[in-house]
Amino acid sequence: MTTHETIRQLLALSAAGLLDAADERRVCEHVHECAECSMALGELAAVSADLCRLPAPMAPADLLARTEARVAAELAAQAGLRHGAILAVGAGLFAWMAALTTWGLYRFLAGSAGWVAWLLLTTVPAYMAAGTVAVMFASRRRLERSSL
Amino acid sequence: MIYQAAIFGDVPVAEQDEIARLRRRDSAALAGVVGRYQHRLYRYLRRLVKEPAAADDLFQQTWLNVVRQLDRYDSLRSFDTWLFAIAHNAAMDLLRRRTGESLEESGHELAAAEPDALSAAMASERTAILAAEMAGLSAPYREVLTLRFEEGMKLEEIAEVTRAPLSTVKSRMQRALEILREKMTARYRKEDLI
Repeated sequence: MTTHETIRQLLALSAAGLLDAADERRVCEHVHECAECSMALGELAAVSADLCRLPAPMAPADLLARTEARVAAELAAQAGLRHGAILAVGAGLFAWMAALTTWGLYRFLAGSAGWVAWLLLTTVPAYMAAGTVAVMFASRRRLERSSL
Repeated sequence: MIYQAAIFGDVPVAEQDEIARLRRRDSAALAGVVGRYQHRLYRYLRRLVKEPAAADDLFQQTWLNVVRQLDRYDSLRSFDTWLFAIAHNAAMDLLRRRTGESLEESGHELAAAEPDALSAAMASERTAILAAEMAGLSAPYREVLTLRFEEGMKLEEIAEVTRAPLSTVKSRMQRALEILREKMTARYRKEDLI
């Protein structure tokens, strides 16, 4: 590829102000000697300058208010989810602590072989409750997303 | 040389404390940022999807996605490029679903619509014609042009927004400018002959 062809490919980026200093210098030196590239660069520079002055489409007057309302609703939904999650974790911890403290009492009442019954009475309902809460959260989240 | 990027002096950058407030889901901070970026983001989306209603919808969708993805934002990166990348993804999803809109870079661009008399009278004739010619380009070309000339982004930033390799961004920029130069030159030469 000749110097002319190489420089020709750099002209658009030069007009857009996107060349590094070394390439910019090469373009500058070449256009001083090449009338064709000089004219092309002038035309590209005119297009570039006009692109900066294009009439800008204006956002509708109520777009900001509508967007803020939707963002506020999303933030409220996120806050509700966080609050619900904290409550769920708290309730889970409370249930766990309650199960631990009742273990001694159950053993005293049911004897040493009662650990299987204790496990069934405490752990299984706890897992079922956790699963139900998770499903409820997921369906609520879906509902909130679809209403936005 | 001829065109200097220094003319772009109005690129707002979200301050670090503002970012921290955004992460805490501070609604006042979010409202401030939405307001600050409203015209720039809307302009970018209008250039990409053209229809006002679609740009309106994408604008709102972009901010909802921002709120949902705030935890993933790396404050060491530019907020501008992160925000425009989210808007880019939303716009590309829409353009892919749309029939008749090409996401390919095409050498055969659509014929530009004639600018209406009012807009030509209000804006300078040349920029009105150029805007119409730009609207006739395919989406990837319109996007690099608006990110460079209206948002003042560098090649690397455009690559980050569009998630395209730097070489692709360069070639899109070159091709888009060349197409516009050819169209504008041809149009003015034709008018000279008349």
